[in-house]
Amino acid sequence: MSDGTEAVLYDGVRSQPHAARITVREQNALQVEYDKERFTWPLEHEGLQWERSRDSLRISFGEFPRRVIIVRDPIFIQSFVLRMRYSGRQGLYDRLLAIARSGPVLFFLAVAALMVGGYLWLLPWAAEGLAMVLPRTLDRELGEAAYSSMAMTLEEDTARTIALQQFGDALDLSDEDSLIFHVVKDDQVNAFALPGGHIVVFTGILDKMDQPGELAALLAHEGTHVAERHSTRMLMRQLASYVFISMLIGDASAIVAVVAENADNIRNLSYTRGLEEDADRHGMERLHARGVDPQGMVELLKLLNEEAMEIPQAMQFLSSHPLTQDRISTAETEVSKLGPMAVAPLDLVPLFTAVRGNK
Amino acid sequence: MDPINPLQRLAFRGKGVDLFIVLIVNWLLTIVTLGLYYPWAKVRKLKYYYEHTELDGHPFHFHGTGREMFIGFIKAVGLFAVLGGGGFALYYFVHPLLLQVVLAAGVIALFPLVIHGTFRYRMGRSSWRGIHFGYRGELGPLYKQCLTDGLITVITFGFYAPWFTIHLRNYVLGNVRWGSSRFEYKGDGPDYFILNLKCYFFTLFTLGGYWFRWRKELFDYYVNNLSWHLGDDRVIRFKSTATGAGMFRLIIGNLFLILLTLGFGYAWAEVRTMQFVTRNIEFIGDADLGSVVQTEQEHKQALADELGDLMDIGIFL
Repeated sequence: MSDGTEAVLYDGVRSQPHAARITVREQNALQVEYDKERFTWPLEHEGLQWERSRDSLRISFGEFPRRVIIVRDPIFIQSFVLRMRYSGRQGLYDRLLAIARSGPVLFFLAVAALMVGGYLWLLPWAAEGLAMVLPRTLDRELGEAAYSSMAMTLEEDTARTIALQQFGDALDLSDEDSLIFHVVKDDQVNAFALPGGHIVVFTGILDKMDQPGELAALLAHEGTHVAERHSTRMLMRQLASYVFISMLIGDASAIVAVVAENADNIRNLSYTRGLEEDADRHGMERLHARGVDPQGMVELLKLLNEEAMEIPQAMQFLSSHPLTQDRISTAETEVSKLGPMAVAPLDLVPLFTAVRGNK
Repeated sequence: MDPINPLQRLAFRGKGVDLFIVLIVNWLLTIVTLGLYYPWAKVRKLKYYYEHTELDGHPFHFHGTGREMFIGFIKAVGLFAVLGGGGFALYYFVHPLLLQVVLAAGVIALFPLVIHGTFRYRMGRSSWRGIHFGYRGELGPLYKQCLTDGLITVITFGFYAPWFTIHLRNYVLGNVRWGSSRFEYKGDGPDYFILNLKCYFFTLFTLGGYWFRWRKELFDYYVNNLSWHLGDDRVIRFKSTATGAGMFRLIIGNLFLILLTLGFGYAWAEVRTMQFVTRNIEFIGDADLGSVVQTEQEHKQALADELGDLMDIGIFL
């Protein structure tokens, strides 16, 4: 046997490994000797593949079944990898791996920062962008499906529903969707909107109100959730973050599970603080334009705030975020910003009395 | 280091740091490509496990490529989209209940296909000492077996599930080849049933303490019933040396490793698991591993592998 580096060769025919010696020749070829055979593999050949792990180099050559050489000599590995790098046969992946190995901690921190940044800012942005591209009919279909699945469990007050529909229609809250209002017999101080137009108001919240402005504000707030497609946006956000996390942990099944789960679960989506304030603000603008005093929003929020202090867990108002003094003062600022109304005030008292019923 | 045990021929030489680096680079590329790198990331991770698992000092090799995984992934997603789309169409236009029916039927119909395809792919793309593994099972018998056992399992409210599992293992592992050699799994439904039943009661009485013992026994049951046939009555049997205490240390240790690092200790936990598995399998019998001839074909269809991911079906049954 001549000089060269020790290696192990698998001939691809039998499982008996061979002791081999390997040398890099001047003409850019690998010379391999084992038993009594000798052959050369051109380094630039397409059929030559190599993979390097931390302490071994695997070179294979030819068609299936390929002959394989494993080299463990660090000096040979280093010079081989360098040579391949100069000839341009080192991919982006190996370069990244090399960078990562040279400073694992720093690399990790950089990736972690990128991940957190991507998760907190890029992901919601991209998801909401995607949501806005989806057709509005999707909102309607999602909403219909969700409503029909929960309709059985809701006890609707038909007479008050008709009155609420008239009240809502008078406000003319949406240009794009026709809003369908429901009054449901339930003591919870709560209301929610489904994508596409169903807005459900519980008798519990109606009975707390004593002026039409509050009800107008509630409907305007919920109407904005519908008009601005908040549910769909939140759904896409949630979906995107599940996809993101399950990709990181390499668990694709989670994605399927989430799609299946969320189709039914729109009602329990919680909006972000920003979307809630959006709904307050747009709602007030809408009321202002229709001749309803936006001060009603401030009254509504105060009413809900008091309620929240009395029975904390009952206070949902479509959100897991507690109502804070902040939201009230933001609404107050908005009232003064909007100034006096440009149109004749809308008289909602008769319609409100009808909604209130005999209480 | 453990004393050198000639029967302990498997070893895992991976290191937590190295696997961690592989995983971070995977994460980085996955984020930057908005997820499209996922199939390549999967291959990188698998390759790391294979390369660092050695039998008699020779590493295993995974031949799969990101490209073929990607093609499989796209097909799997397409199949799911068709299934889901069909289900939703029926949901809207015919009857809401049909969605569940279609999805359930889809999962039942796909399960044997996923097992079959995943084994064909994983085995066809694995080799040791240049000789490829292979899977010779056929889809027809597997379907027949799964449907019969599945039906009995449903009728018996799940009591038959241990038999289902064992029949599946016997069939699938019995069709694994390494070149001209073959594997065999001889599990027994009643034994496996009693094993699980025992665990249920003892775990209750020992306030969960028996659970680790049970995990150890499951591992034993897997390993001890497996054998490797190299022709002419030359057989290698496997013997588990796992202990309840060892299983306890592994599981509790990994739990802490992952919890205390908020998940970033995952790589180290994986390495510990691989070390535990390789260290606790002994090879009984000195059949010659050098006389095996290459017989198995390559198989490059990764569809089932990806379907399995989407449906959360592990291949270790």
